[in-house]
Amino acid sequence: MKTFKRVLGVVLALLVAAVFLFPLLWILLSSFKTKLELLAVPPVFIFRPTLQNYINAFNSDFPTQVRNSLIIAISTTVISITLGSLTAYGFSRYSIKGSDFLQFWILSLRMLPAIAVVVPFYLVFRTLKLLDTHIALIMVYCLFNISFAVWVLKGFFDEIPIELEEAAMLDGYSPPQVFLKVSLPLARAGLATTAIFCLIQSLNEFLLAVSLTTRVADTAPVGLSKVQTLMGVDWGLLSAGSIVFMLPVVIFTIIVRNELVRGMSFGRMR
Amino acid sequence: MSKVVLEHLHCWYGPTHAVDDVNLVVEDGELCVLLGPTGCGKTSTLRMIAGFVRPASGDIYLDGQRINDLYPGDRNIAMIFQSYALYPHMTVREQFAFPLKASRMSAQEIKERIQETADFLHMHEFLDRYPGELSAGQQQRVAVGRALIRRPKLFLMDEPLSQLDARLRVEMRATLRRLQQDLGITTIYVTHDQLEAQSVADKIVVMNLGRIQQIGSSLEIYGNPANLFVAGFIGSPPMNFLDCHLEQREGQVYVCNDNFAFPLRPDLARRVEQTLKVSQTFRVSQQLVLGIRPEHIRLSPEAKANAIPTEVYVLEPQSNELVVDLKLGDLILKARGDKREMGFRPQLSQQVWMEFQQEHLHLFDKDSEDCII
Repeated sequence: MKTFKRVLGVVLALLVAAVFLFPLLWILLSSFKTKLELLAVPPVFIFRPTLQNYINAFNSDFPTQVRNSLIIAISTTVISITLGSLTAYGFSRYSIKGSDFLQFWILSLRMLPAIAVVVPFYLVFRTLKLLDTHIALIMVYCLFNISFAVWVLKGFFDEIPIELEEAAMLDGYSPPQVFLKVSLPLARAGLATTAIFCLIQSLNEFLLAVSLTTRVADTAPVGLSKVQTLMGVDWGLLSAGSIVFMLPVVIFTIIVRNELVRGMSFGRMR
Repeated sequence: MSKVVLEHLHCWYGPTHAVDDVNLVVEDGELCVLLGPTGCGKTSTLRMIAGFVRPASGDIYLDGQRINDLYPGDRNIAMIFQSYALYPHMTVREQFAFPLKASRMSAQEIKERIQETADFLHMHEFLDRYPGELSAGQQQRVAVGRALIRRPKLFLMDEPLSQLDARLRVEMRATLRRLQQDLGITTIYVTHDQLEAQSVADKIVVMNLGRIQQIGSSLEIYGNPANLFVAGFIGSPPMNFLDCHLEQREGQVYVCNDNFAFPLRPDLARRVEQTLKVSQTFRVSQQLVLGIRPEHIRLSPEAKANAIPTEVYVLEPQSNELVVDLKLGDLILKARGDKREMGFRPQLSQQVWMEFQQEHLHLFDKDSEDCII
């Protein structure tokens, strides 16, 4: 009975995984298919793979767009983590007048629907002559991601026992050193989790990117959407682009996977 | 060399007067225990000395230097926390090096210090482990090592043994005491466990409600408690308290209440009279509290002159000793004695006669709670 239950559990898990992974598999297979194979009915699963789609992708604007995406996403993540951790630490460790109100206000920025601010942002950046630049998108993404980082990281800092910091103070470290050498390393799991979310968030963002960029600073999602032309959709190119674009997040996730598991489960630290 | 002086120290947490006019001198090399129940201000006092809490008023001197305004790290004080506060992300070796690195010591010197400390605490095989991989006792030793390695002027210990199991606690308290004496480091030790306090202290400071109740050696505090609180807090089982008053009968002073009356020894009676005369509040019917420790009640199976008849209510055997609960009216008194020296074996519900050893008898004023004799 017990083994049966376990087997059933594994089968269920595999089923769920299959449902989630199937589209991914579909895209992966599509990226190696020729136009004809792509549109074949019924779909073919065994075929001679071709790299033509990837070659086409790399010969278009796509590499520049990926570069734009990476510059914007990494800058956003670094800025959000830096400012977010400092702010979160402040809220966690010091009694600040109106702390609850301020925290809620920061969180409320996150609730802002992007669609509501697209036009104002467009006008602001047009006036500032920042349309179609990296800086514009970095600034907008930071607005959303810092508020997220503050909220997630505050929880992690709250869990660090205050005695650890007091011990470090007695050991002769100044408050900034205590933050860098004790608090920050102990919030590692939180930092990894926040970084992943910020990265995914700013890589995937479409609405603001499509409105605030035109050609110079357009990001990969915007670029991929432009594959839909009057001549129809080049599904092969789209698939190859999507696969390439997925890689940075996959690689980063693999690097920090241990921290991530701890971070996602918000496990208590001892 | 490192003497600690606290002068008129006050601390408020909102409306709570956590520490109320604490004055204390801890001599060089002395181990001073701050003892009291939860919320008595002992930890707040310690945290003010460490520099985590700013006193509302009053001065803290270490080595004659006023340290109120110094940053904790500049006070040259080490602390062992109740939770040990070991850094989870550092190996034992890194924990040891951490305070030394802050003082910009050379790598060579740091290595030597770690070696020396590891020798001293027999910790070599644990140096490259993380705190999570150590047992509670080993973690405790790491905490001690990290505090020692800086050679601080003053050691603060906040309930250092409370996380250990009973057996290890008894072992570690002897180890800590030995270590402190070998190194001669002035130490302030906070605990709520009176047995622990008595076993390690040179000097005990009993605190309650933010105020110091009494300062003295463990013997003084046990033998001459200053007030009802100290008398009741020290000793296990605690001192028996009985409401009573004094009466003059046939030229002798009697201690009376509803259940008994016995003559007070003349020398004690004179002392009571003197104390009360000075305080000017003595009336014959004044309400007093008689305090007698369980070990100072003598039991006998037969009636004796001036002995008080009671009934055995519960028997609590404890290895070689026996604690006898006695029923006197509505009250339960506890008597304690060596099983063999008791001379008879008390039975449940047996009538026994008890006598108080008058040289160990205490009388307290019921209103002020201060000790009269």
